[in-house]
Amino acid sequence: MILTGKEIEKQVKLGRIEIDPFDPCRINPNSYNFRLGRIMKWYREDVLDVSKRNDTEEATLGSDGMILSPDRIYLGHTEEVMGSDYFVPIIRARSSVARLGLFIHVTADLIDIGSHNQWTLQLHAVQPLRVIPGLEIGQVTFWTIEGEVSLYQGKYQGCRGPQESRSYEDWLS
Amino acid sequence: MILSGHEISRCVKAGTIVIDPFTPDQVNPNSYNYRLGPWIRMTCQDRNQDSKRVVTIRIPEEGLVLTPKRVYLGHTAETIGSNSYVTSLIGRSSVGRLGLYLQISADLGNLGAAHAWTLEICVVQPLRIYSGMKIGQVSFWRPIGASECYSGVYTDYSLPAGCLDHCLGKMEA
Repeated sequence: MILTGKEIEKQVKLGRIEIDPFDPCRINPNSYNFRLGRIMKWYREDVLDVSKRNDTEEATLGSDGMILSPDRIYLGHTEEVMGSDYFVPIIRARSSVARLGLFIHVTADLIDIGSHNQWTLQLHAVQPLRVIPGLEIGQVTFWTIEGEVSLYQGKYQGCRGPQESRSYEDWLS
Repeated sequence: MILSGHEISRCVKAGTIVIDPFTPDQVNPNSYNYRLGPWIRMTCQDRNQDSKRVVTIRIPEEGLVLTPKRVYLGHTAETIGSNSYVTSLIGRSSVGRLGLYLQISADLGNLGAAHAWTLEICVVQPLRIYSGMKIGQVSFWRPIGASECYSGVYTDYSLPAGCLDHCLGKMEA
């Protein structure tokens, strides 16, 4: 079951959903609009490997933002710190942004319950597209969960700013 | 309602969800990490001809570099399905952060279909992948209403199946 906008606001006030900073103007009928943060990362190499640490470069975006190129994956982040120990978040792009051909996650829309971060956005533009920090780029929805819950304690917990893939850690164990 | 990781484990034990083989370490707070099976189906250009043919290859031990602008069909290493809960197969954030799309906007499974799932894969940048890697997540959702289980054309496939494979007969591995 998905939460309505009014229920999201109520749960934020009760402290059961974290959205920080929270602005009631950004509530939709059944989601909340989050913004793009200032830091952007991308990989230095053209050819990536899931089993290796792939070096990155990063930039702090100014008010003119940056142009995303279709042949690269970019890692952005939400301006807001978000998470919930009671509901499962799912993120997606805003339709106004998708209409310009921007993916804000690469088929990984489901967030673990208990994951509290500035969430990393996996940005991929179909055509070159300029993005600006502070842009309302995506929406978060919250869903009820069934069964006993163990909260997320994974490798990305507590992160600020975009986090590159740590899939190589699977090869270390 | 989405099932928690504990509830997924409980349902696997009770037999209302099939994940085979099942590894408790791959349970997340509200999903299960599935692995990539060994076979990849892809188109390849015939030498000296304009035509393309579809080939199935085994991912070598040193991995396989996927290239952008083409679709690959992989498959889950596990048999996954349920008569009671609706499956949603998506990527994993650690892999999405490297620009790998899984299930090209077709993440919703059907009630009653339990088999190795065909994975629709494409990449933003060249990416080396490996057989057996944890590549995506499956979540399970409680439906409302009387149900009729899936009996469609892809039910019997346990290797990557292209859209015309059901016309050509089951594929040869």
